[in-house]
Amino acid sequence: MTAIPPFDADLLRRYDRPGPRYTSYPTAPQFTAAFGDRQFMEVARVSNGDPIPRRLSLYVHVPFCFSPCFYCGCNRVITHDHSRAGTYLDRLVREIAAVAKLFDRDRDVIQLHLGGGTPNFLDAGQLGELVETLSRHFHFSDAEDRDFSIELDPRYVAAGTVEALAKMGFNRASLGVQDFDPAVQAAVNRLQSVAETQAVVDACRRHGFRSVNIDLIYGLPGQNREGFGRTLDTVIATRPDRLAIYSYAHMPQMFRPQRQIDEKLLLSAEDKLGLLKLAIEKLSGTGYRFIGMDHFALPEDELSRAQERGGLHRNFMGYTTHAESDLIGFGVSAISHIGESYSQNPRDLPSWEAAIDSGRLPVWRGMNLNADDTLRADLIQQLMCQNRIDIRLLETRHDIEFLSYFAEDLERLAPLVADGLVEISETFITATEHGRLLLRIIAGCFDHYLHLAQAEPARFSRVI
Amino acid sequence: MSPAARRRPSPIADDGDELHFCSTCAFSDACLSQGYDKSMLADLHVLVEHVGPFHEGDHIFREGDDFQAIAAVRAGTVKTYVLDRGGHEQVLGFHLPGEIIGLNAIHHARYPCNAIALDTVVLCRFSFPQMALLAARMPGLQQQLFRLLSEDIGKAALLAGDYTADERMAAFLLSLSRRYAQRGFSASRFHLTMTRTDIANYLRLAPETVSRVLRRFQSDGLILIDRREVEITQMSALEQLGRSVLRD
Repeated sequence: MTAIPPFDADLLRRYDRPGPRYTSYPTAPQFTAAFGDRQFMEVARVSNGDPIPRRLSLYVHVPFCFSPCFYCGCNRVITHDHSRAGTYLDRLVREIAAVAKLFDRDRDVIQLHLGGGTPNFLDAGQLGELVETLSRHFHFSDAEDRDFSIELDPRYVAAGTVEALAKMGFNRASLGVQDFDPAVQAAVNRLQSVAETQAVVDACRRHGFRSVNIDLIYGLPGQNREGFGRTLDTVIATRPDRLAIYSYAHMPQMFRPQRQIDEKLLLSAEDKLGLLKLAIEKLSGTGYRFIGMDHFALPEDELSRAQERGGLHRNFMGYTTHAESDLIGFGVSAISHIGESYSQNPRDLPSWEAAIDSGRLPVWRGMNLNADDTLRADLIQQLMCQNRIDIRLLETRHDIEFLSYFAEDLERLAPLVADGLVEISETFITATEHGRLLLRIIAGCFDHYLHLAQAEPARFSRVI
Repeated sequence: MSPAARRRPSPIADDGDELHFCSTCAFSDACLSQGYDKSMLADLHVLVEHVGPFHEGDHIFREGDDFQAIAAVRAGTVKTYVLDRGGHEQVLGFHLPGEIIGLNAIHHARYPCNAIALDTVVLCRFSFPQMALLAARMPGLQQQLFRLLSEDIGKAALLAGDYTADERMAAFLLSLSRRYAQRGFSASRFHLTMTRTDIANYLRLAPETVSRVLRRFQSDGLILIDRREVEITQMSALEQLGRSVLRD
């Protein structure tokens, strides 16, 4: 049922256009400064008032990296000055204390994720202090299925770190690899051996981590079938429970680090598609399932199982098995999703630091969702997690008549139906096998703001 | 508007006009059965006026304010409460569309409690002295007033007994369900306009207990809860639990 989708180069080429990734709907460009710390306190208060307040997910952003990877589009600060970790942690501790006060103590933390940047820029002692601080201010769930995950850069994982993480309660790790091809590694300024990567994977397994995810990227400068094929073989041989295969989005006008990439080494659209095809073939030949939106998992992994029983969800931290929770983000650029609201901390370090130093909650911008936003967010979530939209469910949940409410959206969807990406019945709109690689495009048909703002073309990365 | 209020509009009564009562009016049956329509009431100088909207957190009256009118809720939910000597809030009740607030003020001519809007509230206000005069001439209206008064007293007494948390919670949900149903709204699906702190305070339980009991009701298949939307999926099981409190 969730096998790897077939590969149709012609279709993918035609639909390779910029589009949001929908880690949130509405997407971050809709957030405004009218939503600040007062609004944040209000949504937190209201969320505590639910008869069964949602459980909590915590995200902590660590922006620092020792070395700049040229492909990076994340929010990060390159430094070798390790003392910055300590001063950053001091402010995180204050932010955690201030924010935690807004949430009732009986709301269990079911999910914790450390992302970056490079979370392991903090040493094991500092990571321990961070987790200890969180556990003092929040109540960590002791449920079997709680997810404590961390992104690791294998090049900087010191001996003993993984064991220490396991003792802190971490049970999932995500490792950046991108490509093992030495030529590609040189072109993107990320030299990383198979051996040091394997060592971290082994350590995670030895210390009882429930899953290991590996990130790869296709479309990097200098990539080719032979090299990427070897990378895929090597990675698959380690049997990561989960795999993410992202498309490289070259947007040097938006992401400064990318200006260091030699554009002569970039791939033609044709060659880039060829790499995706290769990845899909190799993964389907080795038993992986396609979860959706760049993500693959082994059939026995919890994500695959959750998708089978309709229990898959997605938030800023990716796919998850946990039913909806309120998400609180800490650190520079972190995003929160509380009740029917989104909010984001300042993206630059000085602004975030200044807010904390002056005793304010560092909320930079955000938005309260209206009824239409909530409905469309629900629809897109269904599409991303179940590959289909349940028309009747949306009608009852949101008090609408689907066909008339979404008349314009369905017009936009018509060409996709004609191309066999989508099937529409009376009760479901389903992404076909071909459509599953283009969920972003299907979702885009239902994005109210995307069609208001057609004038700004280059804000989102291309789909493939 | 707050996110909670935005999710689903609370039930609102059909608007009345010069001649017709609003669909949720607490007195229309009593008046109409006596042959009085709205224009006749106006002739009798019973001032009936719509006031509001009040917004979430607005006070409608405060303890000690002069009492001149009783009011029926047309839309939204009103919470009444008093503050004890330590300044702690004691929730007295929640008033849904069609229900009357201010009945407990009749005796002293001052409001003995505070009333606050939990969402967007519109009221229908009746000047009380004229109403009382009219009741003397209209037995149906008098009976209706007595009925409302005794209901008001009865409601408060119900939770004074020695009931378990499960019984209190079940009775609370059933009471909301029945009151909504009485006004023509769904008995099995409704929006909780009060916070869990308010519910806990009203039921004399800890907020965590409210959530724990509801979570258990949910896992036992009695109810479904999504944020503040409640669906009762096994009415009979809930009635079993709430029976002793509601004295069915």
